[in-house]
Amino acid sequence: MNILVFVKTNPDLQMIRIKDRQPVMEAIPYKVGDLEKNAVEAAIQLRDAAGGGTITAVCLAEANRRAKETLKEVLAMGADEAVLVTEPALEVADQAAVALVLAKAAEKTGYDLLLFGEGSTDNYTGQVGPRVAEILGVPQIGYARKITGTEGGVQVERSMDEHIEVLEAPFPVAVTVVSEINEPRIPSLMNIMKAGKKPLAEYSLADLGLDATSVVAQKAILSNLAEEQDRKHIMFDGDPAAQAEAFVNALLKEGVLGR
Amino acid sequence: MEKVDCIIVGGGLAGLSAAYGLASEGLEVIVIERGDYSGAKNVTGGRLYVSPIRDLYPELWKAAPFERPVTREFVTLMGDGAHTTIELASERFATPAYQSYTVLRARFDQWFADQVMEKGGMVITKNRVDDLLLEGGKVIGIRAGGDDIGADVTIIAEGVLGLLSSKAGLREEPRPQDHALGYKEIIELPPGVIQDRWHLNEGEGAAHLFMGGVTRGLMGGGFLYTNKDSISLGIVVGMEAMRQAPDKVDSYTLLDEFKELPQIKPLVEGGTIVEYSAHAIAEGGIAKVPKLYGDGYLLAGDTAGLSLNALVTVRGMDFAIASGYYAARAVIDAKERDDFTAASLAQYEQSLRSSFVLKDLETARYIPHTIENPRLFTHYPQAVSNLMEQVFTIGPGPSKKLSSTVMGGVRKDFLNLQTLKELYAMRKI
Ligand SMILES: Cc1cc2nc3c(=O)[nH]c(=O)nc-3n(C[C@H](O)[C@H](O)[C@H](O)COP(=O)(O)OP(=O)(O)OC[C@H]3O[C@@H](n4cnc5c(N)ncnc54)[C@H](O)[C@@H]3O)c2cc1C
Repeated sequence: MNILVFVKTNPDLQMIRIKDRQPVMEAIPYKVGDLEKNAVEAAIQLRDAAGGGTITAVCLAEANRRAKETLKEVLAMGADEAVLVTEPALEVADQAAVALVLAKAAEKTGYDLLLFGEGSTDNYTGQVGPRVAEILGVPQIGYARKITGTEGGVQVERSMDEHIEVLEAPFPVAVTVVSEINEPRIPSLMNIMKAGKKPLAEYSLADLGLDATSVVAQKAILSNLAEEQDRKHIMFDGDPAAQAEAFVNALLKEGVLGR
Repeated sequence: MEKVDCIIVGGGLAGLSAAYGLASEGLEVIVIERGDYSGAKNVTGGRLYVSPIRDLYPELWKAAPFERPVTREFVTLMGDGAHTTIELASERFATPAYQSYTVLRARFDQWFADQVMEKGGMVITKNRVDDLLLEGGKVIGIRAGGDDIGADVTIIAEGVLGLLSSKAGLREEPRPQDHALGYKEIIELPPGVIQDRWHLNEGEGAAHLFMGGVTRGLMGGGFLYTNKDSISLGIVVGMEAMRQAPDKVDSYTLLDEFKELPQIKPLVEGGTIVEYSAHAIAEGGIAKVPKLYGDGYLLAGDTAGLSLNALVTVRGMDFAIASGYYAARAVIDAKERDDFTAASLAQYEQSLRSSFVLKDLETARYIPHTIENPRLFTHYPQAVSNLMEQVFTIGPGPSKKLSSTVMGGVRKDFLNLQTLKELYAMRKI
């Protein structure tokens, strides 16, 4: 069983500040996206349950995104191999272009199962998985909350709003997962050390039969402004316990807590 | 047990500097850092004095993400009702190669970690070392999250508190008497505003220190460094002084009070606080530097007590980087000899002794004791400001001769037995 997991490096959203309604991206650390981690965990569990198979993690290196570190983290979690596609032109690529590149990488690597997060932590367009499936002409199952291996395929539980749908599909198939599918493991120090020695292949666009013209974005972002909010300037007085209570109440009232 | 050439505990400047040196020579080295990334938990004032370390890794500093070279120095002596600011604009400081730069650790340390990885070193973040592994008094590796990893040499660069090294008995437990606490905010301001407020040309930076009525007369002071588009503003207070203070005060209250002072308020006007941090600083000086090496281990940076507070200069980062450099050299040479005993690693202390690190700490031996005198933070800043005020005063009646104004002030506040005694005590610094 050949499992490809597609991982994206995301800026650490907790570290981003908004200035003049724009995110300040300077010196922001990057990390593996949350749902991508779920996808990797799902792959590991499938492989281990099947008692064999190979997990290859695939990542695009756009400028500035720490793709190699992302892949190392995923290798440390338990992926077997990694593929990195590096190309400066990818920096301005849109979802269509990214999907094209990933599909070509999948063709080059070979696959039975393609695993994605339902959406990325930063943009969450939710497009890349379905687009790759479409380009490759393989069936796609979204909102997976459980994946079980079957003879030559998978059985997938889909998390729908009001109900759960159970589907079966033979390989090859693409599956996009939601966070409830599992609790991604945190790699141990030893596994992090060993990850450095696992195979990591680097491809350029040319290696995939593409060039910079194939990743020109079809869409332009005209405006992307963060919501503006004034500070509340509320001061709490009294003894610490009373202050804490008043503070928590204020947070509840604002809907920051207890949602 | 998996084994590497060298494990480094702590990915601050000392640890990263050691790792860079080792990785550059092809040794297998892992840095283990508990923060989300290098720089995430590290606090400095800060200004990095590059002059002392420029020759150690010359290629590095050319591309380092410094904020601004410090070309102007300000010292403000704060008294009640009057303060005096000394501004030094030195052409030499404003000419490359600059002697010091302001830095932001979140940016600087991450970059440094990248350089280590470029050289093939491994920097593992989000992992804490729980214990040093000892075997018959020899450090043979570390334990982290249940994994044991062995190393020929472990370099302990875990910062000022040195919890692991104290626990393993490699140094004394830290004492409050030998430490100060620093509180700091990073306040964003447009570059143009920064340049106007501190009289700077574009891209140049200032260091501004405040002595006197900053910390309610407690041993300490205030600092301000200009970054590219922010300032680092903070106070440093002696831990012991704070413990002994008659009226207990929260440290963050001191920082809030500091910012509200009429001398400071206009400097931070219009700024946005983007970061707040607090951290301990070792101020024990050379007397508190522990044994720096033993079988299978070296101590570097703040863990080795290598920092210096000499009132107008605060240093620790240059010592951290230099000690990391010499630690790496010592391990490389020890590997050549295939001998990681204390005797072989003693080279580390020797090179620190013949470098600026221990020499400068030795020169400053008596400073920690001298600056314990609270009058430095109360009487003197006030007296200087009073005197300056008198010099510039024209009252309703006839004025005194300038010389007698000055002499009067000097006689009253400076030519008394206590001051002379204090001056005498200062001859050692
Ligand atoms: C307020 C303030 C102002 C200062 N101003 C200046 C200045 O202007 N100029 C100057 O040169 N110096 C200044 N200093 C001193 C300087 O910041 C320090 O000397 C310097 O940061 C020391 O570097 P280090 O690498 O030894 O320690 P640190 O930078 O503290 O690094 C230690 C690292 O070890 C990690 N660590 C600790 N324990 C573990 C563990 N068990 N497992 C894994 N990781 C661990 C920590 O997370 C940390 O990243 C100032 C310090 C303070 C607090």
